[in-house]
Amino acid sequence: MRDKTPPRPRVHPAVAVLGWICVLLGLLLLAGGLWLIVLGGSWYYALAGIGLCATGLLLTRGNRAAIWVYLVTWLGTLAWAWWEVGSDWWQQVPRLLAPTLILVLVLLCLPALGARRARHPGVPS
Amino acid sequence: MTRSLPTLLLLALAAPLSAQEAAPAAEPGDQAVEAEAADSPAGEDRSENSAAGIAAEPASEAGAAPVPGARAAQPQREVGADWPFWGGDAAATRYTPLDQITPANVDRLERAFVYHTGDLPEGTAEGTYSPETTPLKVGDDLLLCSAMNVLISVNAATGEENWRFDPGVPNEAIPYGATCRGVALWTDPEAAEGDPCATRVIEATLDAKLVAVDIADGSPCEEFGENGTVDLWQDIGERVPGWYAVTAPPAIVRGVVVTGAQVLDGQAEEAPSGVVRGFDARTGELAWAWDLAAPEQNRSGPPEGEVYTRGTPNMWTTATADEELGQVYLPMGNSAVDYYGSNRSEAENEYATSLVALDATTGEEVWHFQTVRHDVWDYDLGSQATLLDWLGTPAILLPSKQGDLYILDRRTGEPLTPVGELTDLPQGEIEPDYISPSQPYSEWHTLRMEPLEAKDSWGATPLDQLWCRIQFHRANYDGYFTPPSSDEPWIQYPGYNGGSDWGSVAVDTARGIIVANYNDVPNYNRLVPRDEVEGVPIDEQDERGTGPEGAADPQVGAPYGINVNAGWRNPVTGMPCVAPPYGGIRAIDLDTGETLWDRPLGTARRNGPFGIPSYLPIDIGTPNNGGSVVTASGLVFIAAATDNLFRAIDIETGETLWSDVLPAGGQANPIAYEANGRQYVLVTAMGHHFMETLVGDSVIAYALPE
Repeated sequence: MRDKTPPRPRVHPAVAVLGWICVLLGLLLLAGGLWLIVLGGSWYYALAGIGLCATGLLLTRGNRAAIWVYLVTWLGTLAWAWWEVGSDWWQQVPRLLAPTLILVLVLLCLPALGARRARHPGVPS
Repeated sequence: MTRSLPTLLLLALAAPLSAQEAAPAAEPGDQAVEAEAADSPAGEDRSENSAAGIAAEPASEAGAAPVPGARAAQPQREVGADWPFWGGDAAATRYTPLDQITPANVDRLERAFVYHTGDLPEGTAEGTYSPETTPLKVGDDLLLCSAMNVLISVNAATGEENWRFDPGVPNEAIPYGATCRGVALWTDPEAAEGDPCATRVIEATLDAKLVAVDIADGSPCEEFGENGTVDLWQDIGERVPGWYAVTAPPAIVRGVVVTGAQVLDGQAEEAPSGVVRGFDARTGELAWAWDLAAPEQNRSGPPEGEVYTRGTPNMWTTATADEELGQVYLPMGNSAVDYYGSNRSEAENEYATSLVALDATTGEEVWHFQTVRHDVWDYDLGSQATLLDWLGTPAILLPSKQGDLYILDRRTGEPLTPVGELTDLPQGEIEPDYISPSQPYSEWHTLRMEPLEAKDSWGATPLDQLWCRIQFHRANYDGYFTPPSSDEPWIQYPGYNGGSDWGSVAVDTARGIIVANYNDVPNYNRLVPRDEVEGVPIDEQDERGTGPEGAADPQVGAPYGINVNAGWRNPVTGMPCVAPPYGGIRAIDLDTGETLWDRPLGTARRNGPFGIPSYLPIDIGTPNNGGSVVTASGLVFIAAATDNLFRAIDIETGETLWSDVLPAGGQANPIAYEANGRQYVLVTAMGHHFMETLVGDSVIAYALPE
């Protein structure tokens, strides 16, 4: 990206903040997830961590692909959670609640990300 | 059902029984015993079989005139208008024949009175209160002890205090917690009406005294011990306050007061003895001692200069008296060092975590039934056993901390329900020769759940769930009876809080239903190598430390100390590493052992991450301590859970029909009684340090509006 000569596009500060939060959470998930893999446990957390990190990095760059990456991560989470515990709703609390909250926040970034691409005049940046 | 024979027996003996009962037991201001025969509610006849079966036979045996000095059976007070025993009736069923409060009208229940004992923690007692108090009700009076063993008589209809007697227990005597579960009553069959101490209230205290006072005015019974007090430290060894303490009501059988003691867990192999002793209820003299490692030698006390065998398994919970057979049933705990067993004697291994039946007149063992072989999990028997007539056999129901329900023939100890055998259990690396490769379990009924899996790890978010999941994989866990380990922690499931603990179960003898509340919580433990142990045992401490039981206990004498994370909680969020429910309540068919209904017990209103109350009214199922009462009208009354609710549950459906918010934790067994024709249910709201509920001093009685 650095080789692009035009000045870096300005990213909405809220989107950037969400991006960095995703990176931080993703790194924690990745680190713990790698430890879990070493211990012989589930691969989900490390993979989800990678997805969350990628989402976060794309968000900080104002890249609309963040939404697609996170959708894939979230759908993967959904499939894994259902496979692992099914309709045990207490067990779905840690698996789905926070990831779905992040999905909502990522989707809320859509106007800001879309605005930059389409350069709608009315959207503040 | 099997009620016909005992009912006939009851009918045949009803008249002579009540006549006999009235004569020796009457005293001024106590019309309870006579009142009983006259105003039995209609529902009572069906239910009396177990209690009456116990009372009736000895009455006929004993004849009209009790032999002075002999240990003859005496008629026992009956439950109904009164709640004369800690377990309700003499059989400890926690069942009341009262039926004024019904599923139809329970929603109109209101507070009749609130009595405050005034006993709240001061100074070093802060953070140690867990009173767990259950009053008795006899005649017009409630009789209870406070956390620090103040004996109190309260008018059962008005909540006004009649008298109190403070035995002066110092804070330093508090062992694990300031607890006094209750008191016991004894009526001297030879005393005349109006004699001082004809009926006495007897308690055992935290500073290990047996105290007897007159039920009429609370004055000490002078003929009992030294001015109403017997020192239980006698022949125990060096007096270390807090190491040896009594928290349970004594059992009184044929004029013998039977008590064990709590020995503070995990301190040292050289701990005070687990000896169980019987004392003459009139004089306080030692009737016998049962030192399981030297039963013959120490029956009348140890030889001059010696003490009862140190470090042996103790009985901290409530024994059950069997006046008819002249036996007492002792739910034994584990040796003083709970989590390491190689240094234990053969006698310790034989009796630890067993139900032991003694001849209460001689202290000789009749039988014993072991629930865990070579217990290294602190699976003490915590529940009081219940006497039953089960399918025509005099039986005893024994719930365990692992959740197993056993029914035994109480004459022989032979199991009446099938006992299975778990084999090829993991031996571990710490003491593989000691760990038993097999263990018994109840095939009839267990409250225990399936073993944990990695996916059971829990949290509020994927992150804290991941943390728990890493803990799960780091730990040694091979399911039920995973042996202790030191290289990595191990998961103990069920944890030491039960299954069924001291609140025990209630048995609706009329409907044939057992009501059992239980915990469903793992512990996350590690044996700590000796050179890493920082704590010192209680006898070497300058100042008493506090903390959850088992947290880095030194276990001096063993090569390891022990660190227990009770409830396996995340240290950051305070949330458990497994999903709810953490506790439940279940109805079980008494004949078949089948589950009738099962539900979580306790709402989420006081629980949430970081200790923040969620105020959610959903039945999450919280840890709980304290039992239930079942009524003839089909209600189960129980507090116990950490949501501070006292509730009425429909015994047919398990549905909560009514609840009230208590001002503090309700970790105590409730009672039911009648005064002036009005039925009351009562519970103490005094909190619990380990259950993390607010501490208080309230005794709260409920009744229908007049």
